[in-house]
Amino acid sequence: MAKRVQDLKPARKADAQAWMKENVAEQKKRYAAIVKEQEELGPEREKWVAGFLKIIQTKGFNVTGDVRRIIKPGEIPKKPKGMKKHQVVF
Amino acid sequence: MARPHIEPYVELDSPYKKFNLGGFKGSHYKVLSLDTDTGACTLKVRFDGGYRRKPGLSYSDVEIFLLNGSMQVGKETWREGHYAFLPAGTALGAIRVAQGAEALVMYNDSEPTFVESDRHHPLVLGDAFVSMNSYEDAPWASGSVVSPSVATGCMIKLLRFDPITEAFSFLYCLAPRYGQDNISYHDCAEESYHIWGTSWMMQFGDLPTGGYFWRPPYINHGSFRCTYGTLAFGRTDSVLYNYFHYNPWTNPDENQLRAAAFQYRKRPQLYNWVASDGHNHPHGPPDFETPDYGDEAQVRLLHGQPVGGSPGRRRGKRR
Repeated sequence: MAKRVQDLKPARKADAQAWMKENVAEQKKRYAAIVKEQEELGPEREKWVAGFLKIIQTKGFNVTGDVRRIIKPGEIPKKPKGMKKHQVVF
Repeated sequence: MARPHIEPYVELDSPYKKFNLGGFKGSHYKVLSLDTDTGACTLKVRFDGGYRRKPGLSYSDVEIFLLNGSMQVGKETWREGHYAFLPAGTALGAIRVAQGAEALVMYNDSEPTFVESDRHHPLVLGDAFVSMNSYEDAPWASGSVVSPSVATGCMIKLLRFDPITEAFSFLYCLAPRYGQDNISYHDCAEESYHIWGTSWMMQFGDLPTGGYFWRPPYINHGSFRCTYGTLAFGRTDSVLYNYFHYNPWTNPDENQLRAAAFQYRKRPQLYNWVASDGHNHPHGPPDFETPDYGDEAQVRLLHGQPVGGSPGRRRGKRR
């Protein structure tokens, strides 16, 4: 295997370890805040989804570019039974 | 794990911190996303007036996008909109910032590193180097560079393309009153920073100026709206394919299975070869959108299964 510059990186020193630790911890908090914020958007998102499902039955669904297809009522997906919250951040 | 799903994150009100690590010591930074294992990261960096750095290189590929201000880099003057891709080991000239500047700085392989040097590392892959002003030196092109494609009104400027992975970095803009009525996901991770403007996605709501996301593969996003126009910087980590659909409730596992089902139908030989190594789905993986596709004659023919009077052929056997 040909060596790359990346392969020659020295082991992480103490200052870099500390930098990682600090910023990973902050990112965890940031992630949790994003999840909470997105969960709070749940009721509004339900309206957005309803609007989307209506649009694709009238104006159509963008198959590719500006090519649209009207989705028939029988093709509209149903919210899975038992789905308590619509998760959007993974 | 790699970088978590950070979406949406509006960084404008988050404070800068002193950059005390090798890289851009003496500047200020905030983390937009960080790979918790490798340290690869996307940072927003503020260079105050009077900032200086000696020539040097990093052990990581680095991408820089200058959001505002200007800086002297070696013999070049970088102004807002400047984009650079520095392959690991590229010695960047001395940096001088007279009046202040802000930039997106991306370390693709590790945490920030810096070695003072005025010579490139002998192993540098120098052909990949890019330095250009994206606002002035690149044309807007239709966003339909891939198929299925985005709707008219999304345009891109290609800044960098990796021929091995087909990862690319780009500017994109959305025209005022842009709309696209589908849900999308990709096999690649996708990253974006809104330089100006607000766009909307059905999952996450508005993403305004200063809005950012790092989105891992197979996560639903869209439909899409933009009222007044948007200018943004974006990247992928590998080839981008638009898997469009209209089921708002699918999760990344289902989306990934559907992507694999596409392979089963469209690249049967490749699929069979891949599946032969312990991941065998003889009738194709589940596809939430077309659950019975395995019954389709053409699909069965492609996979050597009996159709009509045909006994089929042994699975995986080349014709």
